[in-house]
Amino acid sequence: MECDKIIKVTGLTKRFGNFTAVDHITFDVRKGEIFGFLGANGAGKTTAMKILCGLSLPTEGSGTVDGYDIRTQQELIKRNIGYMSQKFSLYPDLKVWENIRLFGGIYGLGFKEIKQRTAEMLQSLGMEDLRNEPVGSLPLGWKQKLAFSIAMVHKPPLVFLDEPTGGVDPETRRMFWEMIYRAVGEGTTVFVTTHYMDEAEYCDRVSIMVDGVIADLDAPDALKDKYGVPDMDSVFRTVAARRPAGKEAAGA
Amino acid sequence: MSWTWFFLLEKEFKQFFRDPGLPKMAIAFPVLMMLVFPFAVSMEIRNINLVVVDCSRSEASSLLIRTCTSSGYFHLVDVCDDPAYAQRLMDRNEADAILTVNADFEKELGNGSSLPVGIKVNTVNGTKGSIGSGYLTSCIRMFVAQYTAGGAGAQTSVSTSSPSIDVSPKYYYNTYLDYKVFMVPALIVIAITMLTGFFPALNIVGEKETGTIEQINVTPVRRSTFILCKLIPYWLVAFFVLTACLIIARLMFGYFCHGSLWNIYLFTALHITVMAGLGLLISNFSSNAQQAMFITWFFTMVFMLVSGIFTPIASMPRWAQAITWLNPMRYYNDAMRCIFLKGSTLTEVWYDALGLLAIGAATITGAILTYRKTS
Repeated sequence: MECDKIIKVTGLTKRFGNFTAVDHITFDVRKGEIFGFLGANGAGKTTAMKILCGLSLPTEGSGTVDGYDIRTQQELIKRNIGYMSQKFSLYPDLKVWENIRLFGGIYGLGFKEIKQRTAEMLQSLGMEDLRNEPVGSLPLGWKQKLAFSIAMVHKPPLVFLDEPTGGVDPETRRMFWEMIYRAVGEGTTVFVTTHYMDEAEYCDRVSIMVDGVIADLDAPDALKDKYGVPDMDSVFRTVAARRPAGKEAAGA
Repeated sequence: MSWTWFFLLEKEFKQFFRDPGLPKMAIAFPVLMMLVFPFAVSMEIRNINLVVVDCSRSEASSLLIRTCTSSGYFHLVDVCDDPAYAQRLMDRNEADAILTVNADFEKELGNGSSLPVGIKVNTVNGTKGSIGSGYLTSCIRMFVAQYTAGGAGAQTSVSTSSPSIDVSPKYYYNTYLDYKVFMVPALIVIAITMLTGFFPALNIVGEKETGTIEQINVTPVRRSTFILCKLIPYWLVAFFVLTACLIIARLMFGYFCHGSLWNIYLFTALHITVMAGLGLLISNFSSNAQQAMFITWFFTMVFMLVSGIFTPIASMPRWAQAITWLNPMRYYNDAMRCIFLKGSTLTEVWYDALGLLAIGAATITGAILTYRKTS
């Protein structure tokens, strides 16, 4: 079943000098699932994600994203993905509708389409009144929801979310996940990194990255059974604590 | 048909006009450059504080003093007969020049032997000192000429025997040696350099800092499109500033460009290309605004000091002249002055165009080679 895998990577490695940020990771993401990409700070999540988005070239390894090669077809990949970075990255001095218009235009939507998408988006976000506000003046939660919608402005089959709910209040986080579910309901595949283990429970499958390698990968329930613990938080602690020791042993 | 460039340009213009400082700067730049700086950067020396030690106290000596003060360059601080007192005034920085007239001034003036006056100049400020002493010498020469020609009739028989050569230079292209007209094209050069090289660099680095450039990098936008759309508004602003400067120079001072305006705009376009490349190089190598500012500041200082704007390149030592060959401002400034002041055409300043093209090719190539959308 090759066709229902939207991301496929084999032996993906990224080195910066002597430091190996991503160390031969192999995994795939199925079409239409929510794939949780977990790991401690510095585990190499963002680096791996940047390779998948075409922002960075792998040192070794190969793979495809939406059928395009991550080494040679980066520009085609970019056309077919949405990306929401960890750092808020809409233009703060542009108004809400202007940001939507800009990114719509960049992704090649026509004037009419942009108008229509803007109206749809503002309505579903409940932000019609804020249309003329500069994005910089919105509260963080609103900004993040807007950033997610804008990442999806061209209705890509796959969207990357890098810690989308960092620093956001619990209520907004819940609304954010509702948005993610809605997107998945419309057939989008979601690739998400997070530090919140309750969010990991919402994913169809999660991978846990430790020191540049994928320490484990499965559905949340399967992982909980495997380690005999009640929640993802304990799974994460167990896996994260186990792996470095193993690596040291392998090194010695 | 992709309209990406349209949306990107729209964004840049909105951001430009929404910026609290930039639009004001675009207006203030030409006004300041044309209305304030031509006076401020004038190398004309006026108000030289003069002390006269008059030991002669004769009719001739008072006439000499009057000749000096009426030239308009000197401000007479004091007339005394004690050289030590005059020296103290200079030590206290109250006098820039001391003119000493000996006791037998009037007598010796008549008999045609060496002129019994002395000049002492304070050269803490070298330019003021050397130019001041030059003015003083020419005043004395003028006085001697007047005195011996129309002066005391009794002495004419002796003085006519000494022949004098009167040299009066005619100044081409700037008849009255008006420093302002000399500085107007140079000030335009400075304004254009600042606007087109460094502001876009800071803008791009600013996007790096806020992280928005990363968002742009994951979109299918071509890097060249993105950068070009960033540069275009600044180019338009540069041409606006250039036009405003030329209009102000015409209205305020009555200076007009002696050459073709097309050439002025052509050289400006060439210079803009060079500066764009340099600005992009800087933005490629700096990850935050502070770094970009420092590099920018360094280049501006070096470029300005060895551009020939303030000091003639020909009088620099050989090694410094060699540095100026790498300085785009040197070529742009030379071309602007030649076109503006004497109406040079492209056939006369082709070497400036060539210099700009060569440096432009180097900076643009460098910028493209060092720029990476992926790491």
